[in-house]
Amino acid sequence: MVDLSIQVFGVDFQNPVLLASGTCGYGEEYADIIPVDELGGIVTKAVTPEPRAGNPPTRVSETPGGMINAIGLANVGLARFRREKLPWLRDNLSKARVLVNVAGWSVNDFVKVVAGLDDADGFLGYEVNVSCPNVEGGTMFGTDELSLAQLVRALRAITERPLVVKLTPNVADIGVFADICEENGADGLSTINTFPGMVIDIEARRPVIGNVTGGISGPAIRPMGVFATWKVASRVKLPVIGIGGICNARDAMEYMLAGASLVQIGTAMFVDPYTAPETIKGLHDICERQGVAQLSELVGALEA
Amino acid sequence: MRERVAEETYWLELTAPEIAAQAAPGQFVMVGFGASAWGIPFLPRPNSVAAVRGEHIGLLIRVYGAGSRRLTALKPGEEALVLGPLGTHFELNGARRILCVAGGVGLAPFLLLPAWPPLVSCGAEVRLLYGERQAAAVFDPGKLREISGLEAEIWTEDGSLGSHGRVTDGVDLNGVDLVLTCGPTPMLKAVRALAVEAGVACQLAVEEHMACGVGTCIGCAIETVDPETGEAGYSLVCSDGPVFPAERLRW
Repeated sequence: MVDLSIQVFGVDFQNPVLLASGTCGYGEEYADIIPVDELGGIVTKAVTPEPRAGNPPTRVSETPGGMINAIGLANVGLARFRREKLPWLRDNLSKARVLVNVAGWSVNDFVKVVAGLDDADGFLGYEVNVSCPNVEGGTMFGTDELSLAQLVRALRAITERPLVVKLTPNVADIGVFADICEENGADGLSTINTFPGMVIDIEARRPVIGNVTGGISGPAIRPMGVFATWKVASRVKLPVIGIGGICNARDAMEYMLAGASLVQIGTAMFVDPYTAPETIKGLHDICERQGVAQLSELVGALEA
Repeated sequence: MRERVAEETYWLELTAPEIAAQAAPGQFVMVGFGASAWGIPFLPRPNSVAAVRGEHIGLLIRVYGAGSRRLTALKPGEEALVLGPLGTHFELNGARRILCVAGGVGLAPFLLLPAWPPLVSCGAEVRLLYGERQAAAVFDPGKLREISGLEAEIWTEDGSLGSHGRVTDGVDLNGVDLVLTCGPTPMLKAVRALAVEAGVACQLAVEEHMACGVGTCIGCAIETVDPETGEAGYSLVCSDGPVFPAERLRW
């Protein structure tokens, strides 16, 4: 029997497979399709202080080995999230861990959301989104060292819950930003968010995406995600959550060997909602085949 | 099974018992090839359920790009990933005389309509107008009759088959108490305008680029208005639609 569980942020995750923010709604959208509580956890759609309608259509389109999206952080806002979405998570997920993804345009925006949720039940901690490429200023905190330090410090001061920062790959050296998060009190790092990109309709001579540009995700970016995870995990002591193009257990294992304690599946869930449960089963099978009793032993076990 | 039914247009039948048992006209399925077999298409594609025959569902697919080309190349025995039935369906609301207006492969949901139990039990009269650019694109009328039992009134823009003109030229709302329509957006807008002007209830099955089909990616947004509050916003074609009453769309 293989043990897939792993201790991260001082708690047990029953397995390392989480659903990425923006790809699983607030959890309940997938409740009729897959056993959500059997997952390692989910990361909610971003929550901002006020509700957001999002960007004009077209918002998504296929790209080679993946997709482009510019949703624009459409979400129900802090008040409705706490009132209508958190209770479902609290009542229906007893084993899967929940991270609430938080977004904003000023330190105060992030502080409002964290302060507005911190005493509620139904979630473990926060994933701080400083890396959305699809709204103006969405990557500001993720690409400016001083702003990032200030933000992490401000949030650390108001919560004792796990604070994970989701980093953007669109910087010269992601390691520098990982250091800043660690120095200012973050508990973990998620690597990576999407790469900015663009697709053009050559007949209309217009951008396909209503927002003109969008974020590229899917297996096309997996090697870059593995690289960023390896770079960050070799540099900081914080646990790292690997994200980018994971489609199966083999892909998830690459991230874990590179140093990820947990992984998130995103775009592949759109292709097949069973990707996450099958990845969990696949990790079990890989461990069994390799004679590994405890999956957590493989975190960062890359020989290089 | 897979059969060419018009120029670049194919009829596919997939074995999907659970979907066949539930699908209603206007609902769709996401058809793809799984996350590990990634290639083209990577994302699944939404397709309206066009028929239910025992344990099989019928899809009417026209080749527009790489995704639809791959789907129409499915061979007998080959497996695809099919998720559904998804989204909202047409609502009869006690209608007695229904006018269906279809453009291109927007024909699909109307092929399923006559055999739909709520329609069978209410016995409403159904008239189908079906428009294409030219004769080569027209779904074989014999096959159409075999699948749906409907006699379509065919319109072609160049007059090469059926009546000459746009399908909207054939819209006569006299005595009609419900208009159902599916097809290209300009046609939908024209049909909607006619129905709204005549004060006839109208439901539209709309399209938008999708990734997940189940409301999680929030990608398939369409501008809508809340008929009660007048408040404008976005709705999701996959889970709030694809069938919307005319008054909900902000067109």
